[in-house]
Amino acid sequence: MTSLKRASEAGPFSSNISSKTYVRSTKSGKVQKIVREVYLRQDIPCSSKICSKCLAGAPRSAAGTVSPFVLSDKPAGSKAYPQGHYLVPDTNALLNAMDLFEQSSAFFDVIILQTVLEELRNRSLPLYNRLIGLTKSEEKRFYVFFNEFRLETYVNREHDESINDRNDRAVRRAVKWYNEHLAQTKAKKLPVTVMLTDDRGNLEKAKKEKVPATTLRDYVAGLQEADRLLDMIAESQERGLSRDKKSADFLYPEYYSMSKMMTGVKNGMLHQGIFNLSPYNYLEGSIKVPAFPKSLLVLGRDNINRAVDGDVVIVEVLPQDQWKEPSTKIIEEEAITKNENADGDEGGDIVTEQEKKALQEQVKKTQGLSTEGRPQPTAKVVGVIKRNWRQYVGHVDQSSVSQSARQGRKQESVFLIPMDKKVPKIRIRTRQAGELLGKRILVTIDSWDRESRHPVGHFVRSLGEVETKAAETEALLLEYDVQYRPFPKTVLDCLPKEGHDWRVPTSTEDPGWKDREDLRGLLICSIDPVGCQDIDDALHARPLPNGNYEIGVHIADVSHFVKPNNAMDAEASIRGTTVYLVDKRIDMLPMLLGTDLCSLKPYVERYAFSVLWELNTSADIVNVRFTKSVIKSREAFSYEQAQLRIDENSQQDDLTKGMRTLLMLSKKLKQKRMDAGALSLSSPEVKVQMESETSDPIDVKTKELLDTNSLVEEFMLLANISVAGKIYEAFPQTAILRRHAAPPKTNFDELANQLKVKRGLELRFDSSKALADSLDECADPAEPFFNTLIRVMATRCMMSAEYFCAGTQAYPEFRHYGLASEIYTHFTSPIRRYADLVAHRQLAAAIDYEPMHPHVRSRGRLEAVCKNINVRHRNAQLAGRASIAYYVGQSLRGRVAEEDGFVMKIFSNGFVVLVPRFGIEGLIRLRDLADPEPESVFDADGYKLTTSGSRDVSVELFMKVRVRIQDVKDEATGKRGAKMELVRAG
Amino acid sequence: MPLDTSTYDLALLRVDGRRWNELRRLDGQIRTQAAADGSSYLEMGNTKVMCVVSGPSEDKRRGQTSASTATGSNAADVAVSVVVAGFSSVDRKKRGRGDKRIQELQTTISKALASNLHTHLYPRSTISISLNVLSQDGSLLAALINASTLALIDAGIPMTDYLVACTAGSTSSYAANDDRADPLVDLNNQEEQELPFLTMATLGATDKVAVLVCESRVQVSRLEGMMAAAADACKGVRDFLDQVIREKGHKMVTEGTIEKGASMAIEIDA
Ligand SMILES: [Zn+2]
Repeated sequence: MTSLKRASEAGPFSSNISSKTYVRSTKSGKVQKIVREVYLRQDIPCSSKICSKCLAGAPRSAAGTVSPFVLSDKPAGSKAYPQGHYLVPDTNALLNAMDLFEQSSAFFDVIILQTVLEELRNRSLPLYNRLIGLTKSEEKRFYVFFNEFRLETYVNREHDESINDRNDRAVRRAVKWYNEHLAQTKAKKLPVTVMLTDDRGNLEKAKKEKVPATTLRDYVAGLQEADRLLDMIAESQERGLSRDKKSADFLYPEYYSMSKMMTGVKNGMLHQGIFNLSPYNYLEGSIKVPAFPKSLLVLGRDNINRAVDGDVVIVEVLPQDQWKEPSTKIIEEEAITKNENADGDEGGDIVTEQEKKALQEQVKKTQGLSTEGRPQPTAKVVGVIKRNWRQYVGHVDQSSVSQSARQGRKQESVFLIPMDKKVPKIRIRTRQAGELLGKRILVTIDSWDRESRHPVGHFVRSLGEVETKAAETEALLLEYDVQYRPFPKTVLDCLPKEGHDWRVPTSTEDPGWKDREDLRGLLICSIDPVGCQDIDDALHARPLPNGNYEIGVHIADVSHFVKPNNAMDAEASIRGTTVYLVDKRIDMLPMLLGTDLCSLKPYVERYAFSVLWELNTSADIVNVRFTKSVIKSREAFSYEQAQLRIDENSQQDDLTKGMRTLLMLSKKLKQKRMDAGALSLSSPEVKVQMESETSDPIDVKTKELLDTNSLVEEFMLLANISVAGKIYEAFPQTAILRRHAAPPKTNFDELANQLKVKRGLELRFDSSKALADSLDECADPAEPFFNTLIRVMATRCMMSAEYFCAGTQAYPEFRHYGLASEIYTHFTSPIRRYADLVAHRQLAAAIDYEPMHPHVRSRGRLEAVCKNINVRHRNAQLAGRASIAYYVGQSLRGRVAEEDGFVMKIFSNGFVVLVPRFGIEGLIRLRDLADPEPESVFDADGYKLTTSGSRDVSVELFMKVRVRIQDVKDEATGKRGAKMELVRAG
Repeated sequence: MPLDTSTYDLALLRVDGRRWNELRRLDGQIRTQAAADGSSYLEMGNTKVMCVVSGPSEDKRRGQTSASTATGSNAADVAVSVVVAGFSSVDRKKRGRGDKRIQELQTTISKALASNLHTHLYPRSTISISLNVLSQDGSLLAALINASTLALIDAGIPMTDYLVACTAGSTSSYAANDDRADPLVDLNNQEEQELPFLTMATLGATDKVAVLVCESRVQVSRLEGMMAAAADACKGVRDFLDQVIREKGHKMVTEGTIEKGASMAIEIDA
């Protein structure tokens, strides 16, 4: 910080101007020095309701309003400060314990200093945003005091002072000022302003300067619910106080310095990528880097070096003599590290004896095969660029809790086993271990230091008893970051005032009718799953005099009700999609819109956005147009009902005829797509049937697909493609589109080899057409499911489709590989997908129905929207699947089912079986086959596992097997899951 | 790095600690170069410019690099050239003479001044205004106009009134579309980068608008508030320029007109 000399002393601020210097490094590596002016002033209020002086001189906005004062005149007290207190946390307090500050039972009247806010923003943007959220909450009373702009609290950095020391001093100065300033009010009961810090140096200095200060831990210990709250303080930060006392033994290699990593990446010696952990082996990870076509393997704890699935890491390739084959063995963390002691973590080897044994076996296996010569490059993690840590749901490992802790209140370390198998177990310190046993709990990871075998985290909150529906559902929603809280009032305020009584205006002079076509006369119907309430789409078809057909796809006009950038739009853009769980739907839009006003219900008039084509008899598009409309659906069919009606020859009314036309054309459209190379990929879809009264699942059925399913699908695809072309033509930079990249060829290597070895089949994958054709050929006349199995496996080799903003990609990259379409978007489900809503707005602008709102035009914003909805979309899928898996487990509870399954993956010590009926996959290990564990011979090249001794079986890839499925609770971990046993092979 | 403009709502404070309607520190001097017909030096915060006026002089062939208002009429031609020093901005990008932005600045200034100066008094002659940008921190066009006004007064060229300029912006971005956004005046560089803004020049204390440039996207509903704020800010700038002139005049009366070794006291923070 330097103070500029000034040419003259004139001007309103002459004595109160300082300037700050920042150094910024640019992307290209240049360093820039930025000088900023700072105007110091004395009219920044303390915002305490006991101070009338500040209120008198409080600043006004341009409209003349004064912001109300925030801090209570009777703040809560504690043992140490019975007269009440205002809290001033330092940056680390917020970094380590934001959850604590968000509690609804404690931490009121908090002063956030500008110094702290700036530091927090530089350290963690998500935490900064959460803090800004807190300052907006009226109940919490958080006030941001701009101490760096107030003359009395501004501090200059001394010559030999570090930035951190200067900032600490600024915090102390502000706390001191607050106390002195409030003393002048001569209030009878004067609250104390207290600094919260865990920095020992800062505390000592505060003591010397007589600034009230305390550690976060000491402060919380004096609160009523100390036990619960203390658990929420980050573990690492407490150790921060004692770190210098002893230097711990390091278990993991040190990370490279940032500059070393950057240089390494630049000159190609190091590589950056996202770390992925194998779902079958917690000691094996892989990382895809731009430099190589195939992923690099990262094997063993040492090499994984504290990376967690999803982290952005830097790796270094290991020498060739350390290259290995990917493991052919299942290694589960729970089983191997079961008996580790959470408290005795320090010292010792990171690689435990059991792990060593497991590794040795693997080396033997690999070396046995090395004559075949297929070891793959391996790498080690040398640094983490960005952690992808979030909050994790899990349960406390019973065996890590000592007997004494189950009764007493002693603080101890316990392990949390996350639901997500790719996340290592987390060590947390708690005083309530006894109470947490058997509960679903939410924790965060705080750090993972070199001297700690496991990451260290802290307790956030308990969701309830494990296996109760409420707790499991919430766990699932949290795990997939689904926003499930009820819609806030601000959102509900955006709904039409008439509520359910809203009607399409009767007078066509009404502004709502402006530029809308009256399509009420058309015989439109909707076809959806049974019980569908949010009807997005409806269709019609009628013959034209020239022998062609007029086809219409009518989509709910959601953009009429959801205006850009109001609270409802903001909420929907965050939610991104409706999430369907087995027994619950988490809506993107409030019920009133989704299931009533927007929903294209039968027999009532509704606003719609229509796509109207003229198709000839071979389903070629003669022309297409788009219009806002008013429609009246004649009937809402289920797929089954529609199918029955079409098949029933006695039905000769125009509506049924129209449906037959649609069906006829949809078959032609489908054939054309297939000819162009569209893929028909599948994952087994499962439907859980619920007994309505108890809402307990009673049976699980695989979904049946009818012609009418494909009828609707084909026309939705056609509408999406037509709309994509239109909005791209109108907005080449900002159109919202959806693409599906071609998978890298190497993704199919393994599957192709498996098919060749096991079945003598050739999988061609040089184009989507070739792949589609060769997938068709992958059939086994004796086993119809074989083809589906291969499709399921091929689907897993694919990239995932994504939304993007047209300007961010070159045109060839727009291609949708799976649908074999040059361009694609989502338009047909605006009630449940935000992308479709954006496409609606863009289409409305493209046809000059309404001007484009700036919100929908800003490319930067749209890119952010795409990024968010891509994540939401994926999470919604995963949450849906997890929900089904949970209910499948529940439906099996207390009974044993015998089913057919297929071997889809094989290891040296086990294999994975897919059971089509339930759509679940289960792992069967050697030790599950018999007791004692049978001897085994694994033929890796032949994908065959043969056991002998206690049980003689031979299992090969793709083989049909009979399995017994049973719901089992693992007593050691308290975890329930579907467990499979092999009844017979072949 | 400091916070960004989104924190305005928290305490009605801008990124540099000002309120919505406050100008930055202003510093101005005239007759900084005794040899020139007219000269000035002006700082608006960290935006620092200087101006030299020569003329009116008999028409010569104008150089290619300046904008002028010559239309072959009987009025003096106002030729403006702007040179931006490489060290004036953080990225130290060198702007060539043909740079489109600079040409636009020149044209805008030249047209605005020509309408205010009594150019018809000097037929077939040229008034050359040469502007140098030493440091940039937002509101560049406004500073250039204000410096020109000072130097033209120093040169004694008759004009209708002070031509004074200032920027005005809005505390929320275009995309945020916040109707309650406050207008703000005299933007610094960071604010110009993040917020919509316009530059306005008015004639003296009147609300007569001589220049209005707005290159950012902004909702029409916010424009009125921004323009009103800009007009008020221009009045503040006018009072300041007036004070600079009067002080100098007072000094010249009391101390005599010739200053020995008069030199300019600029500090350049490179
Ligand atoms: Zn006060």
